[in-house]
Amino acid sequence: MIALKEIRKSFGRHEVLKGIDLEVEKGEVVAILGPSGSGKTTLLRCINYLERPGSGRIRIGDVAVDCGHPSKKEIHRLRGRSAMVFQQYHLFRHKTALQNVMEGLVVVQNVPKEEARQRSVELLEKVGLGAKLDAYPSQLSGGQQQRVGIARALALNPDVILFDEPTSALDPELVGEVLAVIRKIAREGITMIIVTHEMAFAQEVASRIVFMDDGAVIEEGAASEFFRSPREERTRQFLRRMTPEAVYNI
Amino acid sequence: MKLDPAFIWEAFIKLLAAIPTTLEITAVSVGCGFVIGIVTALARIYRVPVLREISSAYVTFIRGTPMLTHLLMVMFGLPIAIDALSGALGLSFSSVQVPMIGFAYVAFSLTAGAYMSEVVRSGLLAVNRGQIEAAYAVGMTTWQALRRIVFPQAFASALPNLSNSLIGMLHGSTLAFTASVVEINAKAQIVASTNWKFFESYIAAALIFWGLTIVIERLTALLEKRVARYDRGGVA
Ligand SMILES: Nc1ncnc2c1ncn2[C@@H]1O[C@H](COP(=O)(O)OP(=O)(O)O)[C@@H](O)[C@H]1O
Ligand SMILES: [Mg+2]
Repeated sequence: MIALKEIRKSFGRHEVLKGIDLEVEKGEVVAILGPSGSGKTTLLRCINYLERPGSGRIRIGDVAVDCGHPSKKEIHRLRGRSAMVFQQYHLFRHKTALQNVMEGLVVVQNVPKEEARQRSVELLEKVGLGAKLDAYPSQLSGGQQQRVGIARALALNPDVILFDEPTSALDPELVGEVLAVIRKIAREGITMIIVTHEMAFAQEVASRIVFMDDGAVIEEGAASEFFRSPREERTRQFLRRMTPEAVYNI
Repeated sequence: MKLDPAFIWEAFIKLLAAIPTTLEITAVSVGCGFVIGIVTALARIYRVPVLREISSAYVTFIRGTPMLTHLLMVMFGLPIAIDALSGALGLSFSSVQVPMIGFAYVAFSLTAGAYMSEVVRSGLLAVNRGQIEAAYAVGMTTWQALRRIVFPQAFASALPNLSNSLIGMLHGSTLAFTASVVEINAKAQIVASTNWKFFESYIAAALIFWGLTIVIERLTALLEKRVARYDRGGVA
């Protein structure tokens, strides 16, 4: 379903991604863990072409792009296959919750307005915001905004949803409601790649864990295995710092 | 000499006839200036080769010289250019056929364009980068993202400055007098030329400009309420 091959990305002379390979099957939930600055955000942004990889290949579904010399059209098609949930939500500020969810359907996918509206209302109800259809982002809490962001991503019916630390900008008491929504859609078999610092959540919701450090994949494995018996020393160090003992028992 | 309040009123009534001319000059220069402003601002923000350098030079030159200078240069320069072009193409068109107000339109559009370029640019830069990224992530093309997401927000944040530009051009339109265009201020001079009651006549002109400015301010406030309601959390 998704295949990344040898993805490289540099900012100036600083190589941030040093040849990333990653494959994700349909319906899989993959959590990417790793210390701050290890390149997790950059990797997600490359998959969505918000950042232009220096080289490598990206395939999502039937769209394959050679990052060396992609055409505008290919990039556009690739973007059509994924959706992104941003750390800072990035809801369209001048549009209501409902309009935010409808926008992509109407403008990009040319779905008739009435149908788009109906689907969007359903999705907002699904994320628990059926009562906030006409609220602007400035009138919503962080948790509510992020749930709109998730509905907006779901509306596009993408092959994969990319989550970049969806809860790390939230006040602690709002984290739970967003994780609950992600958990719910994970159970529906939607393919997801989630960058997160919530270890317990990753262990629970992800089928596979990818650990990145310094622009490279250090270790990956089934979630149960990964937390119980990490193979690499760097992984162990990271987990020791990040995890309460209850989750981390070696 | 004594103030003659009755003549203020008399002049006021006569000046009303010149309002359309003033508004035409203002509307044309702000309308064209807005288009020029958008194009030059985009050229500078997106670093379009050549167009970007031209835009920057244009903006610094126009903002660095008086509006009256623009009018004089257009009035005396444009006919030379028109006649040369017309001659080269073997046309019978001559610059004397261009109405004087046409030079005011061109000159003031250039003036407004440079100032509005800055207004548009700061409006566009005020839109969070995340907004256009979200638009891309949703699958929009650059043009869709600009039109649907960036421009509306940029417009909302530029509105107070756009309104200031409009008021500036309204007041600046008095310079069209130099091109023998009879706008409000020129009319005031003409009205007073028979009895020399210039002060009364200019007071009447001032009142009209003040009134027009207040109308613009009110309209801006109304528009601001509509356009920027998402920021103040009106509605719902
Ligand atoms: N636009 C950018 N320009 C320059 N350096 C960047 C940019 N974005 C990210 N970086 C650098 O790339 C590295 C990886 O960043 P990032 O992908 O955000 O890491 P993570 O999400 O794992 O914390 C960091 O060293 C960061 O400073
Ligand atoms: Mg990050």
